Amino acid sequence: MNARHLASDETHLASDETLAGFASGRLDEGMALVVAAHIELNPASGRSLRDIEAIGGGVLAQGEAVAMLSSAEDALARIEASGDAVASASEGSGEAGLPRVLAPYELGKWRPIGRGVAMRRVHVPGAEARVFMLRAAPGMWLPEHQHTGYEWTTILAGAYEHQYGRFARGDFDEANEDHEHHPHVDPVEGCTCIVALTGEVRFKGWLGRLLQPLVRL
Amino acid sequence: MVSAPDPKADLLRNAGMFATLETGFQTSTPVLAGARKGSIAVPMDADALVQAIASSADRQAFARLFDHFAPRVKGLLMRGGAPADLAEEIAQEALMTVWRKAALFDPAKASAGTWIATIARNLRIDHARREKRSRMSKVFEILDEESPEQPDQVVSGSERDARVRAALTGLSKDQYRVVELAFLEGFSHQDVATRLSIPLGTVKSRLRLAMAHLRRHLEDLR
Repeated sequence: MNARHLASDETHLASDETLAGFASGRLDEGMALVVAAHIELNPASGRSLRDIEAIGGGVLAQGEAVAMLSSAEDALARIEASGDAVASASEGSGEAGLPRVLAPYELGKWRPIGRGVAMRRVHVPGAEARVFMLRAAPGMWLPEHQHTGYEWTTILAGAYEHQYGRFARGDFDEANEDHEHHPHVDPVEGCTCIVALTGEVRFKGWLGRLLQPLVRL
Repeated sequence: MVSAPDPKADLLRNAGMFATLETGFQTSTPVLAGARKGSIAVPMDADALVQAIASSADRQAFARLFDHFAPRVKGLLMRGGAPADLAEEIAQEALMTVWRKAALFDPAKASAGTWIATIARNLRIDHARREKRSRMSKVFEILDEESPEQPDQVVSGSERDARVRAALTGLSKDQYRVVELAFLEGFSHQDVATRLSIPLGTVKSRLRLAMAHLRRHLEDLR
């Protein structure tokens, strides 16, 4: 079994390693966005994120200080010079039914890519990963595929199932190299998910051939 | 408007810094700053200082927060590899953000120290990706607003943070370094292994032990 699945196989949560990469801001923004959607939809990972942030606060408190060249008065003078930029409320709440973390990003239109499957691009400027949403009709088999990089998925609605278990709304599916899978979409609810991909993906079958040029984006 | 510097406030501040350097700093448990000097005892409660900024634009509270946290944010960023001038700039901006957003601070979610660490993190991301039009700090803001109310939560975020801090002091030096690199710097386990020139399995086992230790301290909060 793939090592990446050992830690969170039961719960389908993001691993501590992934959450820490997210919390530090070191993850690629495309991968980070899929993790953010998972955190928004899954309170357990939300709590883990806050624990990790608390560790960050603890390390800050205990870390070595380096003397500042500027003073508190300098900072206050800069604040006054810049006018009272009051904390801005976050922009529009985005599209109904989608995670709010997607609101800052431009979304493409849903495009059918064969019978029962549609995709929608998520534009993440500067990201290395390609990010898109995928919507599949009940009972579909998503194309069997293999990748050289990472494929991280957060389920937004419905569910799918493959050899590592059943993944439903809010679950996180973290797959990497040499991980081959063939998800079966829930026969009643269908499935909508958001996916971030790095590296090459090799699809098999007719749907795969349709998807292949699209995921290269 | 800048109020005249109050020499007594400076004295308190300096006394506070001494106490801090010697004893470490707990945001939610008031530390008797200056207690070692015998004469002045002022509780240094960072949560209360942020709230004083929110309620009355308290410049003295800001100065105490600045003097405590700005040098630590700077040190943290420099340990993470930032050049000194960038670390200085981000540390100053982080404290400016504390002033501007003080009204949004909620000690039920996190202590002031943790809040300031996340502000510094967001600024670091913004600086690193400015030219790429990153939206990540927006995403973090949204998640922060989203964080669900937890009526069953026994203690506040500040209390949880104090426990994490206490637990951190119980880690061995080796465990602490691995935690710092993995959880604060966000390096993958493989990158941590490379940086410390130790086997990947050692990184994983140290992290596992450290996390088990930290989680034990938080167990009853779940």
